[in-house]
Amino acid sequence: MRHVFETMGTVASIELPETVTTELDTVREIFTAADQRFSLYAPESELSRIASGTLTLARASSAVRESYERSIQWRIHTSGLFSPNRPDGVIDLNGIVKAEAIERAGAHLDSVGCPSWTINVGGDILVRTDRAPWVTGIADPSDDRSLICSVVLAGSRRAVATSGSAQRGDHIWRGCELGPTHFVQVSVIADDIVTADVLATAIVAGGQEALDDVTGRWPIDVLAIDRGGALMATPGFREAIAA
Amino acid sequence: MNTRSTLGSVFASVAVLIVGWQAGGVMLAPQPTTTTSPQTSTPKSVTSQPTGTTTQAAAPAPAVAAPAATSPADGTYTGASVSTRFGNVQVAVTLTGDRITDVTPLLLTNAGAHSVQISNRAAPIVHDEVIASQSAKVSNVGGATYTTHAYLASVQSALDQAGF
Repeated sequence: MRHVFETMGTVASIELPETVTTELDTVREIFTAADQRFSLYAPESELSRIASGTLTLARASSAVRESYERSIQWRIHTSGLFSPNRPDGVIDLNGIVKAEAIERAGAHLDSVGCPSWTINVGGDILVRTDRAPWVTGIADPSDDRSLICSVVLAGSRRAVATSGSAQRGDHIWRGCELGPTHFVQVSVIADDIVTADVLATAIVAGGQEALDDVTGRWPIDVLAIDRGGALMATPGFREAIAA
Repeated sequence: MNTRSTLGSVFASVAVLIVGWQAGGVMLAPQPTTTTSPQTSTPKSVTSQPTGTTTQAAAPAPAVAAPAATSPADGTYTGASVSTRFGNVQVAVTLTGDRITDVTPLLLTNAGAHSVQISNRAAPIVHDEVIASQSAKVSNVGGATYTTHAYLASVQSALDQAGF
């Protein structure tokens, strides 16, 4: 059964078997808690207080420090393409908190023995299946109302995240600039949602060079769409494309 | 130099060559300055000789009968698995006369990103390849972050309303 609610400035769509609908409240609470803690739009959130200087990172909650540390690790691994530090110095964990919340919500559903579910928050998707694979569409960046393709999520390939400039304008920082990117949309299929999300962001930020680098170092499947609408895909992504 | 030590040095050298070749592949990566990743590390030098490579010419090769021989008999010799900083490496060497005529890697490091790099690179695909899948019945739609407003116009919204 499908459940839809607003959270984190976007919309969550959650598919659960009817027998575990009772878990929906807990799932919802996971997103609400993350949003309250990490949002830079809420003036009283921990991140906002860190940004304004009324709270230091060292005194922040362990949840904030753990997310920050994880972000720093990813910054190192991606040579700075992914970073929790905005050029103006503000710590912005937006790039990872949504994926972490999805991860946590999925772990909760697993922990209560839910065998089959999907979580889609703002277009980033994590699934679990015990039967047929979940077929997932990828939006066409030039047309909200159509799909560029659809892919099969099965086995350990449980996550697909998409980054780009199609929905929110050019929102990905490139170095100190907030400029046009080579790829308008990059989708990454991976075993876990944080890896998928972070690397999709890194490829959008770093362009062709990052695409070649990242696909060489992580076992991920990628579809990248450039400004001219041309598609590039890894062999694994081609195989994942639904018939 | 007896046969055994000759072969030992051959295997050690070949192992180092292969490790070097693998690392060389990694160094061809567009961002050689990257030093760490969750899967692998890409060190800048591979001068480290595997220590203790008193590699013994083991196994299914033709028996090397005469220890005093100055050159080993023709045949294929399997080296011991050598532990390197990238993982284990094992090769077989075919000797003809006193020349190495073939080197077959039996075991290459799984830490090396080299093979991944070649096989996982993204390449252009044409729209025709994906068109058929556009009409597949999907349960969700992924896309670059929807705002709440943009969601309303999305395919995902339509799926949700239909209870997918």
